[in-house]
Amino acid sequence: MKNSQRNVSSRPKASGSDFEAEKENTQELGREVPVGSADYLAPETLNKALEYRSRYGYKAVVIAGGTDVMVDYFEGLTEVSSWLDLTKIAALKEMKFGPEEIRLGSMVTHLKLATDPRVGENLPLLAEAASEMGSWQIQSRGTLGGNIVTSSPAGDTLAPLLAYQARFVLGSVSGQREVAAEDFFTGPKENVMNQDELLLEVMIPVSRERTLSRWKKVGKRKAVIISSLTMALLLELDEKDVITGARAAYGAVAPTPLRAEEVENYLAGKSLSEVSAERAGELAAREISPITDIRGTVAYRRQVTRDITVEALLDMQQG
Amino acid sequence: MFGFGYGEGFPDHSIASVEPAGEGRILIRTSAADVGQGVQTVAVQIASEVLKLDPEHFEIVEGDTHTTQNAGSSSATRQTYFTGHAVKEAAEDLLGNIYHYASQEFTTNHPEMGTRDGRIFSHVNSDDEMTIWELKDRLANRGIELKGRGTFFPRTYKPDPETGQSEKVYVGYSYHTQVVEVVVDTVTGQVTVEKAYSAIDAGKAINPAGVEGQVEGGTAQGLGMALMEEQIIEEGRTLNPDMSRYLVPTAVDVPEVETVIVENEDTDGPFGAKGIGEPAMIATAPAIINAIYDAIGVRFYQLPVTPEKIKAALEQN
Repeated sequence: MKNSQRNVSSRPKASGSDFEAEKENTQELGREVPVGSADYLAPETLNKALEYRSRYGYKAVVIAGGTDVMVDYFEGLTEVSSWLDLTKIAALKEMKFGPEEIRLGSMVTHLKLATDPRVGENLPLLAEAASEMGSWQIQSRGTLGGNIVTSSPAGDTLAPLLAYQARFVLGSVSGQREVAAEDFFTGPKENVMNQDELLLEVMIPVSRERTLSRWKKVGKRKAVIISSLTMALLLELDEKDVITGARAAYGAVAPTPLRAEEVENYLAGKSLSEVSAERAGELAAREISPITDIRGTVAYRRQVTRDITVEALLDMQQG
Repeated sequence: MFGFGYGEGFPDHSIASVEPAGEGRILIRTSAADVGQGVQTVAVQIASEVLKLDPEHFEIVEGDTHTTQNAGSSSATRQTYFTGHAVKEAAEDLLGNIYHYASQEFTTNHPEMGTRDGRIFSHVNSDDEMTIWELKDRLANRGIELKGRGTFFPRTYKPDPETGQSEKVYVGYSYHTQVVEVVVDTVTGQVTVEKAYSAIDAGKAINPAGVEGQVEGGTAQGLGMALMEEQIIEEGRTLNPDMSRYLVPTAVDVPEVETVIVENEDTDGPFGAKGIGEPAMIATAPAIINAIYDAIGVRFYQLPVTPEKIKAALEQN
């Protein structure tokens, strides 16, 4: 997991391969990290990790699966002095499926999300998004938390998390706080995390309603591709097929993953069969604010956002 | 159709040698670079065929200016044809020398002897038998080196600067046709190539699995050319200088390819073989573009046909 907020304190260049072993002396935690220190920190407990985070801040790059930070590192985009490796912390890899909420540890891999039947049953949008992420290799290494903290607008799990109204639990030595997914992302690769915080887990409320959902990833090839756009559409229906709740989330079509409120407002309260899929598609295309880049033009992103929304709603209407 | 080799008056050639080494081993010296296309396998197969000796006896001495001579580049679809030829001639030269010197040892006429599996034997006297390596050692005692050397250096013809015509612009011509099945997703503009059928004229397939591999690789490259590969330059700067943004097909983008090998021996290649490296890819992009036209009625004139181009064309209709 990389924290990529700007205005980071200056990071001394790595001084070679003199990685220090994890220090057991907790008295050091209060001290300043010496200039030029290059440490590889791999704590086995969460408390230890939070202590390191407090002491090192941005001087240690947090690494989970490494599928984002290692690319940046090898391309020289990230100057790394120290690493804070979270892979040894078992508590962050847990998944709990309670009656009220589902809690997913930040170090759960995409492979786990894609293959665990409990995720497929309760959170199909997330399971499908994870199964289309990158490649089998990336799915095996990459983590849910990493995808969230990297905060790319094209992160494949982010639209599903918005659609599920996920809340992120951030921890530091001074305590924990919860941030709703829609408040977490502040810009391309920017979020509200502070330099002493780690993402601990993702909380998703269990819906009591009957839900229908559709996931779509659009990319320029079938694997190892950053999405041109993503969509996670979720409807809650009562026994008369009236839409009691609608969440339409899109990725890679704005500076952050976003929920299209106009689409949601249009859908809510209507019977599924009387909804105009075309109208919803038009609203979605209007509400996004895409840019032209190598993964797609503005026109393409608007057209396809419209058409995948229409396709998903028609598909839901046909049952 | 694809004309292979440099042709056009270029002094294109390949030199190889085949020589017995330690017990049970035969060295093939060729600097033909094997970049995965299998020219070293082809060289071994050819020498093995000529010398009637199993392939496991052969070793390749790879390109090194101290120990090998020029075999030309691994390009222009030329190595099987040129180096295959040179190795065949070298193996035949070695075989001729085996007959020459063994008949002296046996004191027989050349037709009254034979060789198989590394053994040399007389038809006249069944006691007269030795291995290639025994012959090599006996000759070494006489100061004679047992080896074969082969060069393939065909004449090529400069084309007329006005007309582009010549006696024969290239040393040979290969043919490849391909049919592809595509699905165009009109919602996203994505094109999926579901299946490809190829018929390729290889003259003579020295290694049929190698030919199929070339066709499959060529199809993948042609698919990339048709649908993905594009250098995007803005104000002189390449925006996609890496494999995460300059896209080529992944394994899951490439269709199953059904290949029929046509063996039309119309050149003087080794055993009739022709080059198929580049011909393996030339049919794919046009086939895909034609299939897209068949699917959605839009004719594209600029590659690659990206999802944006498809979507934009569908919006216009």
